[in-house]
Amino acid sequence: MKMKKLLLIPALAATASVAGASIPINGFIESKCVIQSDTAGMFGNPTVDKLSTKSADGGVMPIVRYDIVTASKYKAVITTPTDFSNSPTLSDSVDWTSTTVAGQMSDSEMSVFNTDKVIYNNGHTTEFDLVKAGSVWFNVTSEAEYGYGKAFPSGNYTALIVAECIAK
Amino acid sequence: MRFILLFLLLAGGYANAHQFTPTYPKLEMSHMVGVFKAEMVLFNTREDIRYYGLSVFDKDWKSVRFAAESKVVPMDYQERKYITIYISSKEVDKAKYICSKSKILLTVKEPSIVSSRICSKLK
Repeated sequence: MKMKKLLLIPALAATASVAGASIPINGFIESKCVIQSDTAGMFGNPTVDKLSTKSADGGVMPIVRYDIVTASKYKAVITTPTDFSNSPTLSDSVDWTSTTVAGQMSDSEMSVFNTDKVIYNNGHTTEFDLVKAGSVWFNVTSEAEYGYGKAFPSGNYTALIVAECIAK
Repeated sequence: MRFILLFLLLAGGYANAHQFTPTYPKLEMSHMVGVFKAEMVLFNTREDIRYYGLSVFDKDWKSVRFAAESKVVPMDYQERKYITIYISSKEVDKAKYICSKSKILLTVKEPSIVSSRICSKLK
């Protein structure tokens, strides 16, 4: 019986050494930019001649989330609508105004996105230099005014926001 | 910071996302003489998107001729696809950006739609 116990010790030791072996888990963080359509917007119709995504106007503000894994590798370019992609026939011009701002952010230092943003294309395109890594939610407001106080015809209206991530 | 972000990405997942990597693809010789290739990965977790368009641009954002199995890539929800972009040696010096852009079907009638485009840069 004693002999059997002695024989068992090296076997147990061998098992223990196997159980204690460390298995490495390797990871690699790849530089990338991910665009997420967080909240689909909705036009409110506060007056007959106006469609707006502002909550004060009864709309829902579209929100686009960017996940930036490595800082300073990309710039975000967000272009707001200047036309409807789908609407009833419109016989008069539509005047579009919009704003794009970095709202919620995973790092307070990302507020630099707003201070350094560049706006062009008559205010419809906003460019943000993504110099900080993390997640940032861009809030987009868009307003369309029809003719001179003219009522928008009834029907479905669809507009397109283009969210881009361009490698630097 | 990176670990927090990685955790958020893994834990939260991508509910509605478009991803196109690598950020800086490298052009290498393909099996065809005079044709270079770049290997890209497209990942779709946008439930509302079923097609992505591919394009190649020069530094001034003018189109550059390229070939791929298909220039419009059908993608299922949560599908990952490996894409090879072929560029001839005549165009290779001009090519600067490889982009993928979500394609929105005419049947989509949501009031506000986000079209996403991600461009990688050839260095």
